[in-house]
Amino acid sequence: MTKIENPSREHILSRIREALRTPAPPVDMTPVLLEEIFEPVADPLGRFLAECQTNLMEAVITANTAESAERLAGLLTALPEGEIFLQDAPAIREIAKPLEGKRSLRWSSQGAPGESCQATVTLAEAFVAQSGSVLSSSNCGGRGASVVPPTHIVYGGVGQIVPDVTAALRLVNEKGLPDQSSYVGLISGSSRTADIEKILVQGAHGPRRLVVILQRG
Amino acid sequence: MSTAAREFHRKAAEKAPDLVHRQVIQRNMVSYDIAVDKAKGRFRDWQAGRRRAQQIKWEAINNLDKLLEQFEAKILERGGHVFWAADAQEACKYVVDLARRRGVKTVVKSKSMVTEEILLSPALEKEGMQVWETDLGEWIVQLRHEPPYHIVTPAMHLSRQDISRLFREKVDPTIDTDDPQKLVAVARRFLRRAFFAAEMGISGANFLVADAGMVAISTNEGNARLTTSVPPLHVVVTGIEKVIPRLEDLGLFWPLLATSGTGQPITTYSTLIGGPRKAGEVDGPEEFHVVLVDNGRSRLLADPEQREILHCIRCGACLNACPVYRNIGGHTYGTIYPGPIGSVLTPNLAGIEEFHHLPFASSLCGACREVCPVRIDLPLHLLQNRRKVAESGIPGLAEMAGFKVWSWAMMSPQRYVFFGALSRMGMRMVKALGLSGSLLDPMRPWTKYRAALPAPRQSFRELWRKQRVVEKPE
Repeated sequence: MTKIENPSREHILSRIREALRTPAPPVDMTPVLLEEIFEPVADPLGRFLAECQTNLMEAVITANTAESAERLAGLLTALPEGEIFLQDAPAIREIAKPLEGKRSLRWSSQGAPGESCQATVTLAEAFVAQSGSVLSSSNCGGRGASVVPPTHIVYGGVGQIVPDVTAALRLVNEKGLPDQSSYVGLISGSSRTADIEKILVQGAHGPRRLVVILQRG
Repeated sequence: MSTAAREFHRKAAEKAPDLVHRQVIQRNMVSYDIAVDKAKGRFRDWQAGRRRAQQIKWEAINNLDKLLEQFEAKILERGGHVFWAADAQEACKYVVDLARRRGVKTVVKSKSMVTEEILLSPALEKEGMQVWETDLGEWIVQLRHEPPYHIVTPAMHLSRQDISRLFREKVDPTIDTDDPQKLVAVARRFLRRAFFAAEMGISGANFLVADAGMVAISTNEGNARLTTSVPPLHVVVTGIEKVIPRLEDLGLFWPLLATSGTGQPITTYSTLIGGPRKAGEVDGPEEFHVVLVDNGRSRLLADPEQREILHCIRCGACLNACPVYRNIGGHTYGTIYPGPIGSVLTPNLAGIEEFHHLPFASSLCGACREVCPVRIDLPLHLLQNRRKVAESGIPGLAEMAGFKVWSWAMMSPQRYVFFGALSRMGMRMVKALGLSGSLLDPMRPWTKYRAALPAPRQSFRELWRKQRVVEKPE
């Protein structure tokens, strides 16, 4: 890749350095703890489920792989004809077995989801109780998997729930995601807009439905 | 008076008494206020959150050079490009050249105020490229050939009937509904085609995360997700002041921005992008560019008193809180950034000669300071801008002379009494002659739309002397 010309880089940086030689008036730097700002999350699963409701997401709790597979099949067979895109991961291969032959499946190893796909099924890096969010990355079936289809189904374990956004970001750092995945995202509900008279409409550009299948154990 | 100032006065006089406009804005602001109150309730201590946010932005802006270099190094490491643009022209030229080199015909854009500031879309369109705004509100104002009315909700001033009519004229003549759900579906269908046709996606940035070397972009619609995922080329255009030091700081800033911006607990898609598609990834753009725009920001940085203006995270809360904004509306300002933050920023970025009137478009009530999530002392900066205007001699000889006379009259009790009596008499005469509100009424700016103020017969001093019961000391 060619290196780009940057005629103003040094100029801008030296202007910034010059400007910062005069200190700004100080602000109150008394340390503020995160616990002062947000109530610590006591019951992560309960909070996560409550926030999913606030975010207009659907959450399904299952007891084991067999039940997850059954719920997934139920969700997908109810959808209109068309391709289903799945993240090519052993856990998803496992729960998608009952679908083979019943729906047309496309795996992430075969390329990105097409514009016409009906739903995507992916894993998550984590789930966030405080905000009812799915922590996703390029590792979870790519960038488009969570935004191209009308329905996005996320499969994960109850043990993947972290208490708050800060804990999720700490996890991003621990996993080395900034260098390891070109995209990381916190998804908190279906795509929505309130640009017309502040009236909430779901399914603006991305999924109208976001479903989380959370398995215990 | 500059052209911008004359236009401002004309439009303000037109909008303030416009009852339809008032109703639309009122409806928006009421639902905003309710949502924000609710979202603030999710904080254990909102004020503590503001204090922490102020500290983090102070740290970021006062270490701007180091943090930008840290951010840049990470992006370069991953095969991305970082271009430093001194001004609007340099930024536009870079993006236009890049687009030309890659044979771009269609560009999709997710909302970015900086691209509005540097006039990027017209620059691309001049080269024959089709540019589509993909945020619904932004697309609506694009179809109307209008600038955004508000930095967060660009089409706030339009009713669903207006939007239905617009879509019928510009998109599909068969549209016969003003149901928001159906109007959104029209936009979705239209813009989907644009997303999958585009060779270039342009986004802004809400934050540049220095330690992770990632760009944080928040959207509810997911349009920024599609803009940054589908086209083979992604360009981020952003101001140099958007930096925050640490990834974990977003644990506060994401909820804070969403709360102040729209009254949500968190924006639906809170996204981080660190570079182009990596080997082994399913999708994503092959090329990734970040354009860091200075365009007057380093000049503002050099003024330690006004440096904190660069702490702004563009949530729009000060616009919504401002009684002036609520009355005259976003378009009256004639600036990219309207409202209190606009009146503080614009004279500094775009020149005080043209925008000398903006610091005065405020009652200094302080509502903006109270709502600012990073605690920027906006009234202080409005006053500092007023000082800059007064010192520059822009007000002109007549106004300067007027204030000289005024201060001369104020400096002696006799003169004060004399001129006070004279003006009370004048007010009574205007009223008695039935001239209130007419062109001959010196109080016309007030009386044009309002009842004339009752002119008292006696001055406060006279009333004081007559009515005050003096308690004699024992």
